[in-house]
Amino acid sequence: MSTPVVFDAATRLYPGSTVPAVDRLDLEVQPGEFLALVGPSGCGKSTSLRMLAGLEDVSSGSIRIGDRDVTHLRPKDRDIAMVFQNYALYPHLTVGENMGFALKIAGVAKSEISTRVADAARILDLERFLDRKPKALSGGQRQRVAMGRAIVREPQVFLMDEPLSNLDAKLRVSTRTEIASLQRRLGITTVYVTHDQVEAMTMGDRVAVLKDGVLQQVAAPLDLYDRPANVFVAGFIGSPAMNLGTFAVEDGDALVAEARIRLPRATTDALTTGEVVLGFRPESLERVPAGTEGAFAVEVLVVEELGSEAFLYGSLGAKLHNPQLVAKVEPRSVPAKGSVVHFRVDPERLHAFSTTTGEALPTA
Amino acid sequence: MSLSTAAGSGVTPGPARRGRLRRTFDKHWYAWAMVAPTIFVLGALVLYPLVRGILQSFTNLTETNQRAEVCSKTLGGAESCTPNPDRWHWVGLHNYTDLLTGERGHFWLLLENTIVWTLACVLLHYLIGLGLAVLLNRNFRGRSLYRVLLIVPWAVPAFVSAFAWKFLFNPKFGLINSVLVHLGLDPVEWFNHRWTAMFAAVVTNVWLGVPFMMVAILGGLQSIPAELYEAAEMDGTSPWQRFRHVTVPGLRPVSSTVILLGTIWTFNMFPIIYFVTGGQPAGETEILVTGSYRAAFEGLRNYSLAATYGVVILALLVVYAAAYRRVLKSKGEVW
Ligand SMILES: Nc1ncnc2c1ncn2[C@@H]1O[C@H](COP(=O)(O)OP(=O)(O)OP(=O)(O)O)[C@@H](O)[C@H]1O
Ligand SMILES: [Mg+2]
Repeated sequence: MSTPVVFDAATRLYPGSTVPAVDRLDLEVQPGEFLALVGPSGCGKSTSLRMLAGLEDVSSGSIRIGDRDVTHLRPKDRDIAMVFQNYALYPHLTVGENMGFALKIAGVAKSEISTRVADAARILDLERFLDRKPKALSGGQRQRVAMGRAIVREPQVFLMDEPLSNLDAKLRVSTRTEIASLQRRLGITTVYVTHDQVEAMTMGDRVAVLKDGVLQQVAAPLDLYDRPANVFVAGFIGSPAMNLGTFAVEDGDALVAEARIRLPRATTDALTTGEVVLGFRPESLERVPAGTEGAFAVEVLVVEELGSEAFLYGSLGAKLHNPQLVAKVEPRSVPAKGSVVHFRVDPERLHAFSTTTGEALPTA
Repeated sequence: MSLSTAAGSGVTPGPARRGRLRRTFDKHWYAWAMVAPTIFVLGALVLYPLVRGILQSFTNLTETNQRAEVCSKTLGGAESCTPNPDRWHWVGLHNYTDLLTGERGHFWLLLENTIVWTLACVLLHYLIGLGLAVLLNRNFRGRSLYRVLLIVPWAVPAFVSAFAWKFLFNPKFGLINSVLVHLGLDPVEWFNHRWTAMFAAVVTNVWLGVPFMMVAILGGLQSIPAELYEAAEMDGTSPWQRFRHVTVPGLRPVSSTVILLGTIWTFNMFPIIYFVTGGQPAGETEILVTGSYRAAFEGLRNYSLAATYGVVILALLVVYAAAYRRVLKSKGEVW
C-alpha cells in the first residue's frame, strides 16, 4: 500500500542562475518511511520538495513515485498532498470545506466527503472547529487543519515544508510528536523539510542532510550522529555542535594543545597531508586531573547550566586566542569561570576528517 | 489599585463629567488644534454647500428672483431701491413633486439613462480591468512597459479624452466610421440615436476608467499569497477553478470597494456625457448630473431645481451605498 519515492540525479537550475539550487540529488525514500530533509537556509530543501510536488520543473534527472515516472506530470496527477509553511488555507472556506476541497474538486460524492472530513477531524481533534473560518483559529489549530487537508485526500505521499516554524517553541515540541505518531499510524510515505536538526533527528526514520544543493548524507538519526560522513554533517548535527579543529600530526599523534592524541592506524594511513581535522562531541570529553596522559588544559569562559546538564565553553590550551570548545560537564560541580580545567578525549568517540576533502577518515 | 478607583467613583456625576471634559481638553488641546483647520475647511467646502443646497431645493430660487431689492435709476442719477415683490420664497416639496411627476424636466428618462450608463460602465470597467490585471500579473517580457502604457488614459484629463473620442465617433470624419466603411459596413450616425450615442459615451468612459480598476485589482491580485495557488494546484484544480476559488475570493475586499467607488463616480460622471453626447439627440442621453447642470446654468438659471436634482442624486447614492454595505455584511465581509 505504501509507496516509495526515488530522486534520480534530479537537478534544478533556476532560470538566470548558474549554480543549480539542487544538484544531482539521488535519494530513495522507502515505502511508509518518514524522511526528514534538513540543512541550512538556502541549501535547496524546499526546492527538492517542490520538485517532488511538481511545483518546480526538474531541469535534468527524474523523479519516481512508486513505479510511475512523475518527472513531467502536473501536481494534480501525482497523488501527493502538501502541508505548506504558512498552511495556505483558503480564507473564505470553513475548516470543513478546506479539508474537503480537494475531494470536491475530484468529484467525490458529498456524503463520502463529509465522512472522510469527519474522520480526519476526529483524528486531529478539530471537530469543534469544522464550521469556523481559518481566521478564527489559533496557529496550532490552523496547522492541524493543514494536516487534515492532507490526510483527507489519502495520498500516496505527504510533503511538508517546515510546517512547525510558525508555532511557539512548546507547541512545536508537542506537535512534532503528534505528526510523527500520526504518520506512523497512517503509514504514508512522508518527506519532511526542516532547518531544525533537532526536529529532523526526533521525527525522521532517516535524515537526509543537504548543503548547497548537494546531498551530504542519508542515515538513521543515530548513525548520522555517530558516523557523520564529513565535516559539514559532523558540525551540523548535534546541539551544542561537535568541536572541530585542525591539528598537526606527528609520528601518528595529533598535537592538541599540549596533549598528544594517538590516532588509529587506519586514520594515519589515510592522511595525505601533515594535518587532520579532529572532531569530538561535548559529551565525549572527560574531565581529568592535570598531568593525565593525553589531557589538555581549557580555560573556562562560560558555563551554561541547564539543570539536568551543563555545558562549559572554554579556550583550548588555556590561551584566549586559541579555538573555543564546548564540553559537557557534571551539572552539580561546575568549575568556576576563569579557572583552568583539564579534559581528555574518549579515543573511541574521536572523529577524524581529511583537511582537503572534509570526508571522514577511517578510525578503525 | 481597586481602593483608589472605588474612591474616585464616589464623586457626584455632574461636576465629574465637566471636570473630565476640561481635563481631556487640557490634555488634548493640541490634538484639537491640529484637526481644527481640517474641520474648518471641510465645513466650508462640504458642509456649508451641502446644507445650502438642501435648503435651496425647498425654494423657488432662480436667476430672476434671487435679489432682495429691485433698484432703478432715477432721473437725478441717484438709485432708488424697493423690496423685490417677486422675491424667491419657500415652496416646500413643490420642486420634488414637479421633478418626480415630470412636470418639469425629464427625471425618469434621466434616471433610466443614469442607471443604464452606470451599470454598463461599472460592469465593463470591472471586467476589463480584471482581465487586464490578470494578464499583467503574469510574468512576461515588457510587463512594466505595458503597465505604464495601460495607465496612460487615466493620466489624461477627462475632457481631453472626451473630445478625442467625440472626434473618433464623428459621423463624417471620424475614424470609427471610416473603419466601418472600409470593412464594407454602413457608417453610423452615432449621435442621432439614443443608444448609439450612449454607446459612444460608454466606450469613452470605459477607456478612461479601466486603468484605475486595473491598478486597484492588480494590487489586490498581488496581495493573494502564491502559496494559495500552489495549494489549489496540489488539490487538483484547473486554472479556471483556481481563478474561481482563489482569485475571486481573494479579490473580494478590493472588488467590493472599487465597485462602490466606481458606481458613485460613474453616477456623477459629468464631463463624458456633457462633452461626448452633449445630450444628443434632443436631450435623450442626459444623465441626472448633466440635467442638474443644465437646470442651473442653461436658459433661465433655475438654482432651486438644480439643487433638487442634487439632493435626489445624493439620496439615491446614500440608499445604494447603505444597501450595498448591507449585502456585503450579510456575506461576512467586514467593513
Ligand atoms: N524562484 C527562484 N529563482 C531563483 N533562485 C531561487 C528561487 N527560489 C530559490 N532559489 C535559490 O535556490 C536556492 C535553494 O532555495 P530553497 O528555497 O530550496 O532553500 P531552502 O533550503 O528551502 O531554504 P530555507 O530553509 O531558507 O527555506 C537558494 O540559494 C535560493 O536563493
Ligand atoms: Mg525553504
